[in-house]
Amino acid sequence: MSSQFGFSRSGLLALITVLLPFTTEVVLGQWPVPEELRAAFSALNEEQAAFIASGEILEFIPERQLEHELATRDAGDLQNFVDDLMSLAAEMVYDQERDMGAAPLNLTSRGFNRGTMPTPAPLREPEREPGPFSVHRYLFPQSGVPTFGGTKVAIWPEDLIAGNVDVAIVGVPSNMSSGRRDSVAGPDAMRALDTIATPDIQSLVKPFEVLSVVDYGYFSVDYMSVERSVDHVTDMVAETARTGAVPMLVGGDTSMLYPGVKGIAEVRGAARFGLLHFSAHPDAERSGDHTVSDRQALYLLLDQGVVEGTDTIQVGLRGPDVDVNTLQWLRDKGVRYHTMAEIRQRGFETVLKRVQREVDRGPDAFFVSIDVSAIDSAEMVAAGRATANGMRLGEVTRMIRHVCASKEIVGFEITDLAPMLDVSLMSVMHANAVLNACIIGIALRKEGLDPGYVHPLALDHGQR
Amino acid sequence: MGSADMRTVVLVAAALVAMPASARQEAVQTPEHVVGEQRYPFDAKDYRDEERPPIELPDSVAPKLALLSPEEIEFLKSGDARRFAGSADETVEALEERSPEEVKEWVSAMQAVVTGSRYIEGRDSANIPFNTGSPRFNAWRIERPRSMDPAREPGAIELGRYDGDGGPPTFGGYPLALTMEDLVAAKVDVAILGAPLNMGSGWRDSGKQATTDLRRYGWSMGGMDQYVMVNPSRELNIVDYGDVAVDNNSTERSMQHVREIVREIAQTGAIPMVVGGDHSLEYPNVAALADVYGKEKVSVIHFDSHYDAWWGDEAHLINHGYPVYRLINEGHVRGADYIQVGLRSGGLDEAAFSWMREIGMRYHNMAEVEFRGWDAVIERVVAEASEEGRKIHISFDIDVLDPAFTVATGTPVPGGLDMREAITIVRRLCAETNVVGFDLVELHPALDPTYKTTLNSVFIVKACLTGLAMNRKGLTAVHYLSPLSSEHAVDDYYGEQQEYLDRTKAEKEASKEEE
Repeated sequence: MSSQFGFSRSGLLALITVLLPFTTEVVLGQWPVPEELRAAFSALNEEQAAFIASGEILEFIPERQLEHELATRDAGDLQNFVDDLMSLAAEMVYDQERDMGAAPLNLTSRGFNRGTMPTPAPLREPEREPGPFSVHRYLFPQSGVPTFGGTKVAIWPEDLIAGNVDVAIVGVPSNMSSGRRDSVAGPDAMRALDTIATPDIQSLVKPFEVLSVVDYGYFSVDYMSVERSVDHVTDMVAETARTGAVPMLVGGDTSMLYPGVKGIAEVRGAARFGLLHFSAHPDAERSGDHTVSDRQALYLLLDQGVVEGTDTIQVGLRGPDVDVNTLQWLRDKGVRYHTMAEIRQRGFETVLKRVQREVDRGPDAFFVSIDVSAIDSAEMVAAGRATANGMRLGEVTRMIRHVCASKEIVGFEITDLAPMLDVSLMSVMHANAVLNACIIGIALRKEGLDPGYVHPLALDHGQR
Repeated sequence: MGSADMRTVVLVAAALVAMPASARQEAVQTPEHVVGEQRYPFDAKDYRDEERPPIELPDSVAPKLALLSPEEIEFLKSGDARRFAGSADETVEALEERSPEEVKEWVSAMQAVVTGSRYIEGRDSANIPFNTGSPRFNAWRIERPRSMDPAREPGAIELGRYDGDGGPPTFGGYPLALTMEDLVAAKVDVAILGAPLNMGSGWRDSGKQATTDLRRYGWSMGGMDQYVMVNPSRELNIVDYGDVAVDNNSTERSMQHVREIVREIAQTGAIPMVVGGDHSLEYPNVAALADVYGKEKVSVIHFDSHYDAWWGDEAHLINHGYPVYRLINEGHVRGADYIQVGLRSGGLDEAAFSWMREIGMRYHNMAEVEFRGWDAVIERVVAEASEEGRKIHISFDIDVLDPAFTVATGTPVPGGLDMREAITIVRRLCAETNVVGFDLVELHPALDPTYKTTLNSVFIVKACLTGLAMNRKGLTAVHYLSPLSSEHAVDDYYGEQQEYLDRTKAEKEASKEEE
């Protein structure tokens, strides 16, 4: 309480002494009422005083403002003010007589489940042998129908099995980011800019010569409802993983992290793999008014035990949703989080080593996911929830390459790329680089190379 | 009685006083609010979705049908099977190239798709549940009580230091109003409301970026209009009514609150102008007007390249393609009170046009413009809208304009109106007819780094404000234009200025003589 309110406070005290002989006992709750403001409580009835002392009021105004109001308002004014806030508090919660508790749907629609019904086999024409197939006329195509990294296309699980596919890259074009929206265009933008599958300058490994990678199309979503998209995406991810291929999911917004990881857990078992998650945003909203959204994705996974907090590593946190309560909750869950504050304070190399050690000592298998907001806006302006002061692209790809090379990867997901926000396409190129970092890591591991292996030819020209 | 109750009484009383006579006669109708887990309270069946007639199969294919049950044979002949099997000839061809076993598999696969696509109780969720246990369930739409800010008199608030200038951007630089009480106290004629609903398909950037940009580049919503020499800022009390809260994870949930706020504006007698957001908003905007002026009392002029009366193709009851059907379905507007202008999108089949004719909808698509010319069509539209007793809501989807003028829209279609045509028809409708509501939707600023689309959108709003001001001044003659600004009158080029020339000449001579 600053001294500038001293005068009005004493004025208020005098007023209360004159006008209100019946003082109410102050109920002490969670908000420790400053000594000099207790007198103001005499203007309030018991319920009002209890409401303030409970600290519930701080949901609506900062403590500093509350102190100011208590010190400066006269009795009647203060009562009105507290009454208003109490009715706000009452209106915040669901009332089944007043609020819509569930959005009704069109139950007579002929296309209620439109979009999520894969074509049954007898209706597929023309018939073809199972296996990935090229969409190109030429042996060394330079253009044509765009696919991720120019790979072959697979449509059905039997294609993945017949082709002994290692990695299936698949779009999940949901468009419900709580930031700027265009993640629906993420998969096609990444297909159209053919920068996946570049040879690795460090190891000189050509990933597509080591791995069988396919473009697995997209999994259908309900553009008007994340809730109605979750089950289908979960099923499709599980179906894909059952073939033995690693699903690499290209979002879509980050709400799809939930069905992505859950689908893998249906095949591998819940809490049987770790999660390395890059994002500016904790996505650990614990009391949202929806049942699923990008802001709730990690919370749902941890809360439902799909992954263990102790097997979860989060890197790049900053931005508007990081607060004391959230970090404390993550800490209580056993999550190993690494905020931008740690990276600034300790230096990236130190944090890299710490994360690598956490990965190395963690579970044998990992799901790796990145909300592109993890990367600094300078290199990733087309992030749906872009946030300043992030990680460099190279920092992110080094960490991803490491985990993908050192652990079994059960799934990968990149989310919330909003291409229309970057006419230069730089952000798309960088999103592809992130995807490529994991593919290279998987290839290194398959080749039996150390995660940090550097080819001597790449390291040094060898001239005297 | 608590202070909050008292305020409500004052507000309602004030609103009743300010309300137009017609609205007072029709008591405000109870809104069809869906609460709890209620189902949609109206029939959702689309009566345009009539079964296609069954086909007959020749005896020659009978052996192919040997393994089918009578139900399966009936299905194969039905309209539902046409989607996969094609015409009668194509079906016969498909049967001939399959063995009876394959035919059996083929037919059951088709049946699986048809039944699987429909809602099945027990298998499918009948609604989209929200997290009703959330302690912040209504946080998105909680209004700030006046007591949280320093006391002020109700009215329109100037945000700037210099006669209204020098503050944060508002629509057209107009002052801000936040409550119904402000609208009443300031005798507001037009309240411009931002509605940042970002759920339209196509591109999604019609959220707060749209309402914000319409403020940042919205200075042209005010000032003198050269065509008619009327300055809406001088003739009308116009305010920025802030943005309405929306839930951008659920259009359905947003609809009820938007309807409440728009109704609040209309109840004071002000004209709601709702800008930004996607075209789902036409539904709550018009429903709110029907709440105030009565069911089937409001007519809608729907400017759009799409007819927005789709329905029943998927599970939702509202999105930016459904508002027209839903408004008619719920009885807010009669089909015969709909006037559609600028239609040209794909997807409209004979059934759609037959339905529009059947319900008496006045449609004016670009084929009519191509056939009759724009001038004929604009006269016809204005004449229809001017019919006795109509109360008009204009719903302006900026994709009615040619993408050359509005590239930043969710579902652009080439071959649309140019700005000269659009400004004229909007100004004329707002001047010559009885407009009670207006919306401008489907602006997605990120798609246009030049801001041209935003600026053009602003000028459409300006055209209506000008028209409303003309209406106020009584300048409601057919296609009124200022005689001063439309003619320099140095000579009599068009043969209409002789009287003016003679008169001014006489005046000049008279003043010379006086000297």
